[in-house]
Amino acid sequence: MPGMNPAKRRYLIRFLSTTGVYVIISLALVHYLVQVRPTGPVVYFLALLPAIPIIGSIVVIGLYIAEEKDEFQRRLLELSLLWGMGGTLATTSTWGFLETFAQVHLTSPPVSPLFWVFTLFIVCTAIARIGLDVYYRSRK
Amino acid sequence: MKNRLRELRGERGWSQAELADRLEVSRQSVNAIETGKYDPSLPLAFRLARLFAMRIEEIFTDEA
Repeated sequence: MPGMNPAKRRYLIRFLSTTGVYVIISLALVHYLVQVRPTGPVVYFLALLPAIPIIGSIVVIGLYIAEEKDEFQRRLLELSLLWGMGGTLATTSTWGFLETFAQVHLTSPPVSPLFWVFTLFIVCTAIARIGLDVYYRSRK
Repeated sequence: MKNRLRELRGERGWSQAELADRLEVSRQSVNAIETGKYDPSLPLAFRLARLFAMRIEEIFTDEA
């Protein structure tokens, strides 16, 4: 990753690592739950496993903000995160109203797919970052 | 805030990337400051002033 400062390089490596672990754990968990159908306390333990890399990703974002010495790069991430939070809150609130008042459900029986909230947050943040990059790259 | 960064950089024959290296920031940061889209913090403004051997108010002006 030439031309990238050390803090951003560490951030990307850490973030891709936690994301990779999350994908692997999620896929393995779905496969295991469908194939083995475990019962008892082990189910609670297994259900909590994917949360670990997600919490790790949040820590990684915080570490980057603490380690990045380029104040403008920090500002870009902070703005992206704010837009990401706004997008996530707007989407999930709207979805909640649709579920509650209009009985719009993705699954039957109705289960709110809350585990997608973090992914939605990352997608909103990434879209915001692309928009900010385009804005700040222009010369006017 | 308006600034004379592009002009001062041009006088010294530096590219945005060269100025960014001297300030230890990204080229994107230099561009954002030059275009007036980002106002640097006081510590970064002081680094710029030291680099150009000028006072901060000779580089940045408090105009809309």
